[in-house]
Amino acid sequence: MNKYILSKKLYRNELATFYSFLIGFLIALAVGSLILFIQEKNPFDVFSLMLKLSIGSVNSLSNSLNKAIPLILAGLGISIINSVKLWNIGAEGQIFMGAIALNFVYINTSINNSQIYILLLLVSGFLGGAFCILFPAITKVLFGVNEIITTLLTNYIVFGLTIYLINGAWKDPASLNFPAAAYVNESVYLPTVLGKLSSGFLICILFTLIAYYIKDKSVFGYEMRIAGGSELTAIYAGISAKQKAFFAMLIGGGFAGLAGAIELLSQTHRVSTGISQGFGYTAIIVAAITGMRPIGIFLVGCLFGALTIGGSVIQTIGVSSYIAEIIQATTLFGALIAQFFFSYEILKKDEND
Amino acid sequence: MIDVQLMGLLNATLQAATLLFIAALGELITEKSGILNLGVEGMISVGAVSGFITAINTESLFLAVIVGVLSASAFSSIHAFVTVVLKQDQTVSGLILTILGLSLSSLIGKPYVGKKLEVKLTSLIDIAEPSNIFQVLLNQNLIFYIAILLMIFTAYILKKTMFGRRIEAIGEDLKSADSMGLKIAKTQFIATCVGGAFAGLSGVYLTLSYVPYWTDGMTSGRGWIALALVIFGGWKPYRTAFGALLFGFLEALGPRLQTYGFEMSPYIVKITPYIITILVLVFLTIIKNGNTGAPKNIGIPFFRENR
Amino acid sequence: MSSPILEVKSVSKSFGNIKALDNVDFYLQKGVVHGLLGENGAGKSSLMNVLSGIYLPESGTIKIKNQNIHKMNPDIASSFGVGMVHQEFRLIESFTIKDNLTLSKANIFTDNFEEAYEKYSEIFTLNSSYLTPINELSVGEKQKVEIMKLIFKNSEIMLLDEPTAVLTPQETLQLKESLDQLSQEDDKTIVLITHKLKEIKDFTERIFVMKNGKMVAKNLETEKVTDQELIELMMGEVKTSNFKKDNKKGDVKLEVKDISLTNSEQFKSLDDISFTIQSGEILGVAGVSGNGQVELANVICGIEKEFQGRVLINSQDVSKKGVKSRKKLSLSYIPENRLGVGLAPGVSVLDNSAIKEYFKASYGPHLSKGKMLGYLNDLIKQFAIKAPDVKAEISTLSGGNMQKLLMGRELISNPEVIVAAQPTRGLDVSAVEAIHKLIINQRDKGSAVLLISEDLDELFKLSDRIIVLYEGRVVKEVGIDSATIETIGYAMAGIDE
Ligand SMILES: Nc1ncnc2c1ncn2[C@@H]1O[C@H](COP(=O)(O)OP(=O)(O)OP(=O)(O)O)[C@@H](O)[C@H]1O
Ligand SMILES: [Mg+2]
Repeated sequence: MNKYILSKKLYRNELATFYSFLIGFLIALAVGSLILFIQEKNPFDVFSLMLKLSIGSVNSLSNSLNKAIPLILAGLGISIINSVKLWNIGAEGQIFMGAIALNFVYINTSINNSQIYILLLLVSGFLGGAFCILFPAITKVLFGVNEIITTLLTNYIVFGLTIYLINGAWKDPASLNFPAAAYVNESVYLPTVLGKLSSGFLICILFTLIAYYIKDKSVFGYEMRIAGGSELTAIYAGISAKQKAFFAMLIGGGFAGLAGAIELLSQTHRVSTGISQGFGYTAIIVAAITGMRPIGIFLVGCLFGALTIGGSVIQTIGVSSYIAEIIQATTLFGALIAQFFFSYEILKKDEND
Repeated sequence: MIDVQLMGLLNATLQAATLLFIAALGELITEKSGILNLGVEGMISVGAVSGFITAINTESLFLAVIVGVLSASAFSSIHAFVTVVLKQDQTVSGLILTILGLSLSSLIGKPYVGKKLEVKLTSLIDIAEPSNIFQVLLNQNLIFYIAILLMIFTAYILKKTMFGRRIEAIGEDLKSADSMGLKIAKTQFIATCVGGAFAGLSGVYLTLSYVPYWTDGMTSGRGWIALALVIFGGWKPYRTAFGALLFGFLEALGPRLQTYGFEMSPYIVKITPYIITILVLVFLTIIKNGNTGAPKNIGIPFFRENR
Repeated sequence: MSSPILEVKSVSKSFGNIKALDNVDFYLQKGVVHGLLGENGAGKSSLMNVLSGIYLPESGTIKIKNQNIHKMNPDIASSFGVGMVHQEFRLIESFTIKDNLTLSKANIFTDNFEEAYEKYSEIFTLNSSYLTPINELSVGEKQKVEIMKLIFKNSEIMLLDEPTAVLTPQETLQLKESLDQLSQEDDKTIVLITHKLKEIKDFTERIFVMKNGKMVAKNLETEKVTDQELIELMMGEVKTSNFKKDNKKGDVKLEVKDISLTNSEQFKSLDDISFTIQSGEILGVAGVSGNGQVELANVICGIEKEFQGRVLINSQDVSKKGVKSRKKLSLSYIPENRLGVGLAPGVSVLDNSAIKEYFKASYGPHLSKGKMLGYLNDLIKQFAIKAPDVKAEISTLSGGNMQKLLMGRELISNPEVIVAAQPTRGLDVSAVEAIHKLIINQRDKGSAVLLISEDLDELFKLSDRIIVLYEGRVVKEVGIDSATIETIGYAMAGIDE
């Protein structure tokens, strides 16, 4: 009989996700080195420069962490939605929508107390993100419309809406060759806390804890887990899986919307196409690679933020910034490969016939 | 004059439709075998850039098409390996394929941004201002005709040949197909690579004819619309072609609205295809009561000894 | 005796820590119809799956037509003439009969399909055009197509895994006639698995019996064994009850009135069922699985809503009430499908332990892990559950410990009505013993228990009364004092005395 038998493991190492991530990251670095090598660059030099320029000083470190904020927040949103085994590919659009909603509220209100104003604006961002996923959420739970495609396509719609607004109603006449909305007043900027590190990072820490709380410590999170684990068990337990899915989607969208709001109030200070540079997509990698765990998302988000900064600074020595993106995506592929060896084993049968 | 305008619209419709259709047809084949590949956008992009680079460097269109198709197909084999051989999550793998494909093509395409193509896929017969449907059809380039042949061929293979029925059998019911002795892993692997090849062809059409230049993110969601088209077409080649014409028409109509006397912001016009895609998808899912005709076992990793 | 056409030696196969096949020997004589008997989970299907190349065993050898098989998969099995009708249909629902018959690479009627179809559809009395899609066929017709698949593959060795479970008595009779015709005309070697003794008697010439993954009887001559011998081989020595049945019974706690349930295919899975259970009483429900047990439990517990008739808990009509409100009336349900219904796969032991009353561990939106853990620790102590890591996925527990957790979770609150379906299926002796004690203990505390089981030993040991379900109907109801293994066994197998 067959000499090798593929067999599914009953027990999966508890740290399998973590090890897979490490293995994936190593594979990705190897692939990155190969690409650099082909481009006749010394990988070691490039990587050490990336390291130095992304975490080597307080300034560069705070840049990296600033970049991590949207990755983490959007990743947390994706992970909350995945508690019910649904996918949110629309974080990119939700980030933009968060910024748009913020600007809309900003234009139409005026509050003297800047702290309260900032709070209001952040809340609008959150609601904007939730609004952005409302239609996919409704159509998913009521009719079972594929949420992957609806959330993804909303990205293009919201991006188009952004361009429409910054070229039309919100166009800042002062910004001539780069279409953008007018800057918000300096009084509503999010203050920095350390070097250039935005206080948005503190919000990010807070929301990591909130996501952790929702997923791990709340009744809602519990019900989401059961509904995601098995619909039949949910029915048996008297839990409405649809209701959980609906709210999970809105909350998850809100997280990404908040990311857009923070990005506006701490980085761009106005609505422009620069609100997000693919953060919503990278966030998918961040969330998937950590097995949807909030604390993991926070840590990997910081790492990927640094990678992104590292990627953009090495452009100065003529290396493409896309190396960083490629490393991020390849890490996940590598991790998937590693996962296989944690879930299956290959048994060798002794030949005795 | 109206006629010329109308023919222009028709021409643009066919071009936009061709682009969407080829990719959708490839994904249809992949999905028929039970593999969901969300990486269409990335594969188109890889095909587009590698075809473009080859065309610039060799000035051979034939070679460009071949390289574009093969590189996208090779790229899709990553997805095949991870999901078929290693039985990992198809949604995650496909999404990353898109992200990786976009960044990879941006990387290798960077030196070519803004370069002008000396050669271009030309029409079968070049007619400057076609005045009837025949002339418009003749005015299309070779890939358009290849697309039509692929459509007929695919529809025939899937419905009428043993080979095609076996592919479909696998996507419908992995376990039954397996106990019939059908080769699941091999079929799914090949179907995924064929899907990649088609996406690659769509990509070269984009950079060698439709646009024709290379810039970052120029696929602009067409891969995703292609995915929606497969659902729209109920996993049937001819209906998918019809859907592609519809969406192609919308894409072509947008910039022309003004000439027909509609005042609409060009930015809003640009997003209408996406809005309509979503609405159509929702509408279809509702009237079909959630049962859109998807292969029943799509997205499920196959391990023979699973219960 | 001539040498066997197929021979299996000391084959073993495990799934995790379950030994589905434990050093099994098995052999078949050409042209003979063999019966394979055994309780649920005995390993019958696993053995057939090994023969048809679906499961690869960890050890052992297979010899077919005197050839040692070195590499196995479904394709190779087919090429050696082995074909299997699986316990669940392996038909592509949206495809036509023709597609299903001919897609296999081993199909022999490529050119003369129509002729062959005409011939065999007549033998099997299948009156549908071959262009009919499978999903338009009745269950019985589907089964005929399944068996015809083997003929079109030219399988000389036909493994039939419970083909009659879904057939009506008339259809079964027809099947017998067609199989007889086949084994005579074409010299087919057949293995038939069934839980119905009558069929074993009618169909087969030789009988094999499995128990707990082992082959406990080989090649018995059908004509020479008695039903009682077979039942004992299958179910083990029938022990007399160790529990006293002097329990006091009180008020009626659960009443079920005229329950009928018709599924989408107009098939009556429950047909006019009525009974009552008093406090302190255990009503056993006997029957081969698939005769309406799951449906009955789901109706009582509020999961199945589209039924006719009434359900009363503590004299309160709950027919229209949902799952949660029935639980609040102190109803507990231990479903047959342990992992997938009673417990959520992929979710931790801790989470699974709280499914019944997680709201008791909550303060508003907050779910107290501490409370849940305390509750789980109580469970673990009180029910002697071995759970190495409570944060690990539920599937890391052994079947017995999963079941103890599920039982404990449902019983710790001292419910007044308990519905327990197959509570000991697939468990080892000590775990079974522990579960039995729990149920008796609950009875003595005054619960009304509905115990659904296929294990007669268990039913006799625990029940005060037994009803037998057969094809959705109650075909027998007896008090424990007047019940015998034979009468119940016969009723389960659909035999009228
Ligand atoms: N694919 C599988 N994965 C995990 N466990 C399995 C698998 N197949 C069988 N088992 C386990 O092996 C044991 C034997 O199962 P098997 O299906 O062979 O029993 P059976 O005799 O056919 O029972 P039944 O009469 O209920 O069909 C059971 O404990 C079952 O849970
Ligand atoms: Mg079985």
